Amino acid sequence: MLVLTRKEDESIMIGDDIEVKVLDLKESQVKLGIVAPKSVAVHRREVYLAIQSENTQAAAAAQIDALTDLIQR
Amino acid sequence: MQLETVRFGTLEVAPDAIITFTQPILGFQEYRRFVQLPGPSDYLRWLQSTESSELAFIMMVPTVLVPDYHVDVRPAELSELAVSSIEELEVYTLVVVPEDKSKVRTNLRAPILINPRLRLAKQALLDRSDYPIQFFLAPPHQGQGQAREASHAGLNP
Repeated sequence: MLVLTRKEDESIMIGDDIEVKVLDLKESQVKLGIVAPKSVAVHRREVYLAIQSENTQAAAAAQIDALTDLIQR
Repeated sequence: MQLETVRFGTLEVAPDAIITFTQPILGFQEYRRFVQLPGPSDYLRWLQSTESSELAFIMMVPTVLVPDYHVDVRPAELSELAVSSIEELEVYTLVVVPEDKSKVRTNLRAPILINPRLRLAKQALLDRSDYPIQFFLAPPHQGQGQAREASHAGLNP
């Protein structure tokens, strides 16, 4: 992992097209602004990982008929 | 064209039926091309990879469970899918069917959006904490020994 320290209002460039800026800096929370092309997805890491994990579970899908039973209420 | 699938055997699919993901399903970076196959009801469908015979997802129409399910998509994502409004897209949510059938669930936070006309798709991550990543279809256990509801009695023979 590349480690850089930044102060409020300072930025990092990732490649030519992505900028990460420190907008606000409080004691235990930093507000980041991200400029990136539309083709690049930007998400909070824990959400990203949770969805990735859930997708993997979904790919191991078993019987679809069980679903129909469940949905018929 | 011939498509090899583990679940359905060899299928004949029209090349223009192939859906291309503009961004991959998270965790499935290398798999961009899928076909939709019918499921046992009109609200359940398979999303079968054309690049891996084993890889398939179950998708459901989320409004069957959440009638007011609503997706807010940024203009950049709409143009990525070559549409001008969300109404032009088909919206599905991926379903997880684990061994324990009482834990069948769907991901309301990250729906699959499909442009049916141009066959472009992506998985969108919604900025809504009220749409859970794990939305369980079965009601929670009421307690030990209590009779299960008829709706999911069929799952536990």
